[in-house]
Amino acid sequence: MAMSKDELKAAILEKSQKAVKGQLYIKDFYECDPDAKPREVKNAANELVKEGKMDFWSSGSTTMYAAKGRAKNEETRDAEEGHKND
Amino acid sequence: MPKHDTPLLDELEKGPWPSFVTDLKRQAATKPECWDILGQLELSFKDRITHWKHGGIVGVFGYGGGIVGRYSDVPERFPGVAHFHTVRLNQPSGMYYTTKKLRAICDLWQKYGSGMTNMHGSTGDLVLLGTSTPNLEPLFYELTHDLNQDLGGSGSNLRTPSCCLGKSRCEWSCYDTQATCYAMTMKYQDEIHRPAFPYKFKFKFSGCPNDCVASIARSDLSVIGTWRDDIRIDQAAVKKYVSGEYKANAGAHSGRDWGKFSINKEVINLCPTKCMWMEGDTLKIDNAECTRCMHCINVMPRALRPGAVQGATVLVGAKAPILDGAQFATMVVPFMEINADNDYEDLVNFIENLWDWWMEAGKNRERIGESIQRVGLPTFLKVMNVEPIPQHIREPRSNPYVFWESEEVEGGFDRDVREFRKRHKQ
Repeated sequence: MAMSKDELKAAILEKSQKAVKGQLYIKDFYECDPDAKPREVKNAANELVKEGKMDFWSSGSTTMYAAKGRAKNEETRDAEEGHKND
Repeated sequence: MPKHDTPLLDELEKGPWPSFVTDLKRQAATKPECWDILGQLELSFKDRITHWKHGGIVGVFGYGGGIVGRYSDVPERFPGVAHFHTVRLNQPSGMYYTTKKLRAICDLWQKYGSGMTNMHGSTGDLVLLGTSTPNLEPLFYELTHDLNQDLGGSGSNLRTPSCCLGKSRCEWSCYDTQATCYAMTMKYQDEIHRPAFPYKFKFKFSGCPNDCVASIARSDLSVIGTWRDDIRIDQAAVKKYVSGEYKANAGAHSGRDWGKFSINKEVINLCPTKCMWMEGDTLKIDNAECTRCMHCINVMPRALRPGAVQGATVLVGAKAPILDGAQFATMVVPFMEINADNDYEDLVNFIENLWDWWMEAGKNRERIGESIQRVGLPTFLKVMNVEPIPQHIREPRSNPYVFWESEEVEGGFDRDVREFRKRHKQ
């Protein structure tokens, strides 16, 4: 039996927070509820983005989802990593 | 006074052609960040590597597409392009807009961006190049509230649907491409603005097989106008082409003397399926053999017209090269009615079946054409509930690559692979 929407959102958020990779494809969340349709998983993940609990990361051609603070943020990455450009 | 020396880029200003380098230098008079674009590009030419970082977290509230994050990896040297995001605007169907609208978009971009544009990007969008993260929300607010203009698609979304100018100007259009493109854009707003797919997905709508938007080569779902009856022939007009009274190709090549028009040389002998011939002064066509190349219609537009029973051929799976090289779309439905009165029911059902399958079966970063190639056309046709037909081929005049299972053939068949290998060694 498919999870309720709130249960699905909780499962997606947990996976995005605990996964080894910071950024995940939408398909990576399908396993959160194998009975849910792909569109239901997408809608739940998108609601989490709207609620500010997750972020989109996009290369321009592909989009990935990440828990807040786990996506590679190019605006702050250099400062965080102490990266020096030469 | 130039901010950076750009000897390599300056080479691109030489010669009789328009130069984006000259344009950028002119734009730098009001938008100094354009000097930094030139400086960074000069450095890239020198270093032979891009100095843009790969992607990022950029967007406007509620949208997961339409804005592409671009960041410099040398922001200390070129602070004007530390952020230089791209904004994609959904172009109007057929790319019709008033100069007033275009000026309003340019004014808005001068206010919030670099002023640099790309009209149009390959998906068709109005592409606005170069803005910073804090400018995105105010830009989006004015764009949607004052200009009534929306963002287009990017990332793993449905990309901005695009179409040819269709029935607005073209007598060959077999369905209303603009209305269809607009209807699909409105119906699938969620898919355009919020990432749902394993990778990008593109719709393109062409009104006839001339395929002016090159949908067969560039879109995951290509809808190309066609007809299922006979090409309409005006034999009196054929005679006028033969006599030279009407100019071939509507006079498009009349800037040079090509000699007297020859219907054999210029039309009949160039027919790829050899389905045309003359009987006396009457042109005959074996319509069952016509592959809709459009050449005869293009050459003699006053004599030949597409048939009257019109609709579209639906093809799936074109893409540019990343895996396995570029591929054209494969014809899946030879003729589909495109009917606004039933809300494009056949097309919508087809699209939604296609997506339901691909969202489950497609791998991450796999275009639908690659998924079909991986599972094979027979499997794909089965999941789409499409009966295989001999026209399901790689290209015209080649052998079908549909394989039949024993249970699909009346009486079935037995196949002993070992016996087969004795005669056909690998």
